Amino acid sequence: MAAVAPAPAAASGGGNRRNFQNAEKPIEVRLSNMTAAKAVADAVRTSLGPRGMDKMIQTAQGEVVITNDGATILKHMSVMHPAARMLVDLSAAQDIEAGDGTTSVVKLLSKGIHPTVIAESFSRAATKVVEYLTEMSTPVDLNDRESLLRAASTSLSSKIVSQYSSILSPIAVDSVLRLVTPSSTNVDLRDIRLVKKVGGTIDDTELMDGVLLHQNVITSAGGPTRIEKAKIGIIQFQLSPPKPDMDNQIVVNDYRQMDKILKEERLYILNMCKAIKKSGCNVLLIQKSILRDATNELSLAYLQKLKILAVRDVERDEIEFLSRSLGCKPISDVEQMTADKLGEADVVEEISRNGAKVVRISGIKNPSGKTVSVLCTGANGLVLEESERSLHDALCVVRCLVKKRFLIAGGGAPEIHVSRLLSQYSQSLKGMEAYCFAAFAEALEVIPTTLAENAGLNPISMVTELRNRHALGERTAGINVRKGVISNILEENVLQPLLVSTSAIELATETVGLLLRIDDYHPCR
Amino acid sequence: MSVSIFGQDATQERAENARLSSFVGALALGDLVKSTLGPKGMNKILHSTSTGEITVTNDGATILKSIALDNPAAKILVNISKVQDDEVGDGTTSVTVLAAEILREAEKLVTLKHVHPQTVIEGFRIASKAALEALEKSATDNGKDAAAFREDLLAIARTTLSSKVLAADKDYFAELAVSAVLRLKGSTDLEHIQIIKKQGGKLTDSYLDEGFILDKKMGVNCPHKIENAKILIANTPMDTDKIKIFGARVKVDGTGKLAELERAEREKMKAKVAKIKSHGVTCFVNRQLIYNYPESLFAEAGIMSIEHADFEGVERLALVSGGEIASTFDQPELVKLGKCDTIEEIMIGEDKLIKFSGVAAGEACTVVLRGATGQMIEEADRSLHDALSVLSQTVKETRVTLGGGCAEMTMANAVDEEAKRTDGKKALAVESFARALRQIPTILADNAGYDSSDLVAKLRAAHYEGRSDAGLDMEKGIVGSMKECGVTESYKLKRQVVLSASEAAEMILRVDDILRSAPRRRDGH
Repeated sequence: MAAVAPAPAAASGGGNRRNFQNAEKPIEVRLSNMTAAKAVADAVRTSLGPRGMDKMIQTAQGEVVITNDGATILKHMSVMHPAARMLVDLSAAQDIEAGDGTTSVVKLLSKGIHPTVIAESFSRAATKVVEYLTEMSTPVDLNDRESLLRAASTSLSSKIVSQYSSILSPIAVDSVLRLVTPSSTNVDLRDIRLVKKVGGTIDDTELMDGVLLHQNVITSAGGPTRIEKAKIGIIQFQLSPPKPDMDNQIVVNDYRQMDKILKEERLYILNMCKAIKKSGCNVLLIQKSILRDATNELSLAYLQKLKILAVRDVERDEIEFLSRSLGCKPISDVEQMTADKLGEADVVEEISRNGAKVVRISGIKNPSGKTVSVLCTGANGLVLEESERSLHDALCVVRCLVKKRFLIAGGGAPEIHVSRLLSQYSQSLKGMEAYCFAAFAEALEVIPTTLAENAGLNPISMVTELRNRHALGERTAGINVRKGVISNILEENVLQPLLVSTSAIELATETVGLLLRIDDYHPCR
Repeated sequence: MSVSIFGQDATQERAENARLSSFVGALALGDLVKSTLGPKGMNKILHSTSTGEITVTNDGATILKSIALDNPAAKILVNISKVQDDEVGDGTTSVTVLAAEILREAEKLVTLKHVHPQTVIEGFRIASKAALEALEKSATDNGKDAAAFREDLLAIARTTLSSKVLAADKDYFAELAVSAVLRLKGSTDLEHIQIIKKQGGKLTDSYLDEGFILDKKMGVNCPHKIENAKILIANTPMDTDKIKIFGARVKVDGTGKLAELERAEREKMKAKVAKIKSHGVTCFVNRQLIYNYPESLFAEAGIMSIEHADFEGVERLALVSGGEIASTFDQPELVKLGKCDTIEEIMIGEDKLIKFSGVAAGEACTVVLRGATGQMIEEADRSLHDALSVLSQTVKETRVTLGGGCAEMTMANAVDEEAKRTDGKKALAVESFARALRQIPTILADNAGYDSSDLVAKLRAAHYEGRSDAGLDMEKGIVGSMKECGVTESYKLKRQVVLSASEAAEMILRVDDILRSAPRRRDGH
């Protein structure tokens, strides 16, 4: 679909003159940009809405990804054309608007309107649209869990996991709500830890109290897998024979010395394990090291004897999250092993569900740590990946509501509403601007049209009926995709955050503006 | 029998041929960037053939820098655009276009009227002197009056930005750029203005922040907010100071010794940390990695540690906080520490960054740029940089002139007057120079799709009638008062454009022989 890339002009050499002849003429360049943008939009178009279809993508490594998420589709698509590549930078819904905005742009250009005039009018139109959207939005209180749930499930309804939206949307809402304070205007999604495990079904996805580790407990030496009244230590040193940074060589002269070496090694590790036990620690999380083994058989055996549960391969960038949520401090030297650096929890255990093993730390006594863990399960890797992506989208939707606490209706209602107002407004304008505003209004109708198309409904009759209902004053009428009729979309609980719609419009307009101003294409070094 | 004088592959072009090839190269280059000129100018896509990277730009210097050229005259034009970029920062397109137009006129004189190139040059010199005098006379100076000067700066910023990607939000960004430049208090050192680019959000989400922002993370567990910070900026390895002699290795006879060695290494680290602590610092920024062990020692001492800050970041931080970059810590009294009021974590988009506010250098500030796509942000960065450098130059040289083709027309008319007083063939060249200057408003009008010959004729008449502030109003497509439209440009910029363009044209005109050495042979293997 992205094969519209222009034949690369002759590379350097041969002088400036030849290069110049190869440069395409402005109109051609513009048209090729528009075609490319449309091609990209068409690729993701059918995935819009609750009845949208999925795409199967085979990546360069031969992996298969099945997804409905526009951003993911575009990320994996190997796009050649420069204009198309710019659209790839934007994501799902925004692409469709930018892509279809270009259709109307082509019409305007053929009328002989100067591209910069179009670009400027579009950006003015976008401001107007945002105004209209804000006007029709309703404020939402973060304590109003119902509304948040509705917004999250609207977002999930278009995904593969739509039948599980009743399970996933409360998870998304609750996990974000745990992180917000009344005054916060943003949420760091990295404080929400998604642990993916293959096994079971999406039904088993749950929000966990406490912290989940995807690493497993080391059981090769038969150590414990469940500890009550746990004292957790995160260590950044290794329980293996010493290894200084300098190159070293142990010179053995006779066999007695060999015994001595073995004994010393044993003593060294035993001392470390004892120091750990002495501090009261009974759960060890060991940071991964590229220089040394985190543990060896000897240290594991000692830990098992001392009844200490050990988890290794904790990444360095996980340390911050873990130490914050467990309320403990990372310990980087065995001498610093003291009781005050340990975190406390009621139970640390390895739970196994449908073959998936995770370590759960629950009942953490750390009031200040605001973190959330979610266990995602799925029958196979592909479903799991998609379920994680959908959950991430839902989290983003809820986060949008934290940032800007307004909701608007979904189901194509706002687009039609704004499109109608905008075309009315365009009649009050004069000059080229009027045309551009009308075209912008027309471009907005693409969302309801695509929604209807994807649901197998007749787009023309749907959209005209929708427009009619709006003209009669039903501002919340939208396409009810499930029943295939036009109805009050608020009653169907289809809601989305205002921020999603406004930023889609704004970003799409900015990109179209940039694309429009391009009149030449040059290969360079 | 022909004698070969030149080496193999070396070529010579002489007299007419040489001149022709220079003219053709320079003209082609002028035509190439011509369409980017003015508020209705277009963008170009630069597609790198080696990395596949895409740049969308409107900046003459960037375009000329990137394209591959094989014409000596064209390279001279690229060079002057670079000089313009270094000197004033903006007007890179104007200078190239003007030089190309002067050459176009010169070509006509030389080939059609058989004027000797040296005579043409003589005429051009007279003309450029007259033009510069006229320019100086028309310039106004508001440097004494702070409020009026600020208005001037805003107008310049708006004029510069209106031809760039930021055109839609030029008022917003003009305000931002002027505030940033006025903080510099007359210095032209743009190092103090840091630009941080973060993808996401829309262009108007960009903002100016006082202080300095470092795109790094803080160490685990250290205090996340410090007031009245004393900052030690260092470039030192924090691992064990290894002996850097190749092949150095230790020989030991047992594991115990190895453990001792390791202990000694730790002690060395600890000693280094103790030395750093003795400086009485509350924040330690290192260009190199800080490993787990020193990090935890710092955290224990309540010192904020920031590792792996990049080169630029460290240097800038040293500059704005008034500290020095240290690499030895034996004499605390000799090390200059940086100071700032608060250090805290802030969130921009998805990322956490570290903000240093109330730094020692009061002029320091940071512009956070947001935009929908990577290309958009890059182009916004270039546009803003242009505006900032023009503004900082204007603060130094406070005179301003009018834009929109007004200054060019004033100069052209003055040159015309001069032509009447000049005798001999030189007069032809002086007249040609005036025609070349008049090409700038012509191109402006052409790019906007207006009838250029009509508009420029009207503009010329307006100037003869004494309306010295008449220029092209590109919004309405009429001749209007540039003073009322607020289209203002820096005097220094305009002067530099005329100077460099006429010098470059002269240089190319004097050429009558092009010798090309044989390309360096690459040994095939």
